[in-house]
Amino acid sequence: MQSQQGNKFTIPIGPQHPALKEPEHFEFNVDGELVTGASVRLGYVHRGIEKGTENRSFVQSMYLLERVCGICSHVHATAFCLGVERLAEIEAPPRAQAIRVLVAELERIHSHMLWLGVGAHEAGFDTLFMYSWRDRETVLNLLEDITGNRINYSTNVLGGVKCDIDREQAAAIRQGLDFLEERTTHYLDVVTSDMMFLRRTRGVGVMTYDESQRLGAVGPTARASGVARDLRVDAAYAAYDKYPVNLVTETAGDLEARFVVRIKELFESFRVIRAVLDDLPEGDLTTRMPRRVKEGDTISRVEAPRGELFYYIKSNGTDTAERVKVRTPTLPNMASVLTLAVGHQLADMPMILVGIDPCFSCNDRMVSVKGTLDSQCWTWEQLRQYGIEYYR
Amino acid sequence: MKLTTMWKDALGSLIKPAATQRYPFVRREAPEHLRGQLHWDPSACTGCGLCSKDCPADALEVIVLDKKAKRFVMHYHVDRCTFCAQCVASCRQGCLDMESDEWELAALDPRTFDIYYGNEADIASILDGSTEEEAEPAAAG
Amino acid sequence: MNTLRAVIALLFFPGGLFILFAGMAYEWVDRKLIARFQNRIGPRWFQPLADSIKLLAKEEVIPTDVNAILFVVLPVIALAGALASALYVPIIGLEPSYSFSGDLIVTLYLLSLLTLCTGLAGANTLDRFSLVGATRALTQMFSYEAPVLLALLGPAIVAESWKISVISEYAKSHWLIITQPIGFLVAVIGLMGKLEMPPFDAPEAETEIVAGALTEYSGRGLALFHLGKSVELMVGLTLVTAFYLGGVANPLLFFAKTLMLLVVVAGVQSLLTRLRIEQTVGLWWRYGALLALAQFLVMIAYEGVA
Ligand code: SF4
Ligand code: SF4
Repeated sequence: MQSQQGNKFTIPIGPQHPALKEPEHFEFNVDGELVTGASVRLGYVHRGIEKGTENRSFVQSMYLLERVCGICSHVHATAFCLGVERLAEIEAPPRAQAIRVLVAELERIHSHMLWLGVGAHEAGFDTLFMYSWRDRETVLNLLEDITGNRINYSTNVLGGVKCDIDREQAAAIRQGLDFLEERTTHYLDVVTSDMMFLRRTRGVGVMTYDESQRLGAVGPTARASGVARDLRVDAAYAAYDKYPVNLVTETAGDLEARFVVRIKELFESFRVIRAVLDDLPEGDLTTRMPRRVKEGDTISRVEAPRGELFYYIKSNGTDTAERVKVRTPTLPNMASVLTLAVGHQLADMPMILVGIDPCFSCNDRMVSVKGTLDSQCWTWEQLRQYGIEYYR
Repeated sequence: MKLTTMWKDALGSLIKPAATQRYPFVRREAPEHLRGQLHWDPSACTGCGLCSKDCPADALEVIVLDKKAKRFVMHYHVDRCTFCAQCVASCRQGCLDMESDEWELAALDPRTFDIYYGNEADIASILDGSTEEEAEPAAAG
Repeated sequence: MNTLRAVIALLFFPGGLFILFAGMAYEWVDRKLIARFQNRIGPRWFQPLADSIKLLAKEEVIPTDVNAILFVVLPVIALAGALASALYVPIIGLEPSYSFSGDLIVTLYLLSLLTLCTGLAGANTLDRFSLVGATRALTQMFSYEAPVLLALLGPAIVAESWKISVISEYAKSHWLIITQPIGFLVAVIGLMGKLEMPPFDAPEAETEIVAGALTEYSGRGLALFHLGKSVELMVGLTLVTAFYLGGVANPLLFFAKTLMLLVVVAGVQSLLTRLRIEQTVGLWWRYGALLALAQFLVMIAYEGVA
């Protein structure tokens, strides 16, 4: 994005670095401790998932796409299911839609608490990290209880969901939420009043409203700069029209605001989950889903914990997708990191980077390979062969 | 602004037991709906093969020995299974089920990951067949 | 006879082996306490020992383009400095094995040797993380060194001696933490800065610069630096206890006092967020040094009046 010139002192962060849990390469030019330039190289964890869907049936693709992201796996499956269901002109029953919302919000809690811990760790506040992750176990246990898996829950099937919520589970969820709500209140207090922590977050990495619009930021990152945009509100999907979400925004645009927005969203999630449990429609969990999906294409957008998740799905009338395009929220947010980095201290880099809640393996959608073939279009077999040759 | 906000948690933890679970010594009780190892009940199976068709991980093979006599063998690769339960949802006869208490599936011997369900005589005949198949190229080479 | 005593003092007690093991024990207590503060289990008692043995047994990789002699010798000097300083302080409340007038200053410089060596070790390699880490380590040293010196001179002035044994003898009858609370505070925090403990761990902040100045070190060199740090932890705790918390006493009581101090230090480590390097410097010069100086002036004025 920005090239590095001359013989400046460059600090590389990644592809292997303790601050990054996934491989990605950043280069920060520094003058003493001051960062004067930043660049990024993406593409270390490209896995060919989009291409992979072209060789799998719709049913199988859903599970593949669920693995785009390990943390927000359910929203990927939901986005895909909603899109394919629209193409097939069916609609999942109301109970299924409500359970999709429920799991999505539980997942958001899991994701935001995970992020809170990572953010605290990058700032060097390991105690907050340990406690927030300890409490995150609660929501993981709830998800395990409902779906049977702790991550990659595979709640969805095309045309509905697999898991039901019975009375006992509902009670367990409520109990878990009560505990989490108490803890979240405490964490909100920590991030807004801990003097030493605020020294690392308040006024650091400020992104104004205009900047966030110009850089195309999405999700909580944009909402911390006052952008009132949330797909759950603006274009309610699944059952979000039945269980409305209140928009959470902050205006400061600094790291503190990003912490506050995400923590306040947790309270919204608690509220929505309780609303779902209070008013869970009766009925079937699935409708019949045809194996062959009618020809056509569609766009499916959902609000992932990190921001807007975009799916484009094209069907050619068989049981396999012609093309699936995924855009995860990290990609539009990446530009903000590079812009905000300049003028900050080197010590703030991990914080600013983590402030967008990056997920690099989600992000790495496309690589351009300079190969031996002239054609732009490669088959799965050729790609595989290329991969084997490349890593030999 | 306070100098520190987490001292209560920290001091409280000194007298509380650690949150860390000593896993191999203490096991958490598995929740009722946990997706553990897959089990196949042959009595209702029609051999339609939908389960293996829909499996995203190619973990299931329905081997049809005699469709009329309902002689099927289910070859289940535990190591490939992602525990997504799509097969359970796909099977219209309800033959498949995931056991909540069989979840410690790691093993050193890769052979333990190959599981055959079905009539023992049928399994034996298949295993003989497969060993022969494997033996042939070895003999040729 | 004298040489035998010297050899024993250097190799076994209180220097050498004893202080190495004691240092590791203190390190374990520190790690365990932090874990407990964070609701974790923490390492088992032999973990620091196991770490050291493992590191010592491992291959030491010497990067190309470094001064190999310096690379090998620096960890040795660092550890030697820390060990030597142990001879002049009242380890577990016993009389120091050596003392001469002015040994306080010598000890302080011996203790700084570790940081200096760390800085040099970082500057010696071409690794960019090491270079930044070295710069930070040295910057941090310049910021805490003066206030800590002032803080430790406080007791020296009231005891009217530069000799550690005399000061701790004086401290026996005067709990200086009461008369010089600021000095105590500055000394404890300075000790944490010296040992690069959180929140003063900017020189080795892993999320920014991997392991700071020691990024290129592996095996033996790393083990020696770590051991040096453990020893310094023990010596530093001993020094602060002897000066501010009632001087030399019966070993058990003294041990209990150092442990109490360690609990406080571990608490501070787990409750505070890492400071950026420029924040650390600002903190020391804006508050630390000024406060220590203020107390110094008050004391001198008081002495003058009395
Ligand atoms: S659970 Fe999923 S991966 Fe496992 S066998 Fe069934 S369909 Fe295949
Ligand atoms: S889907 Fe059910 S009935 Fe069909 S082969 Fe599989 S187990 Fe048998």
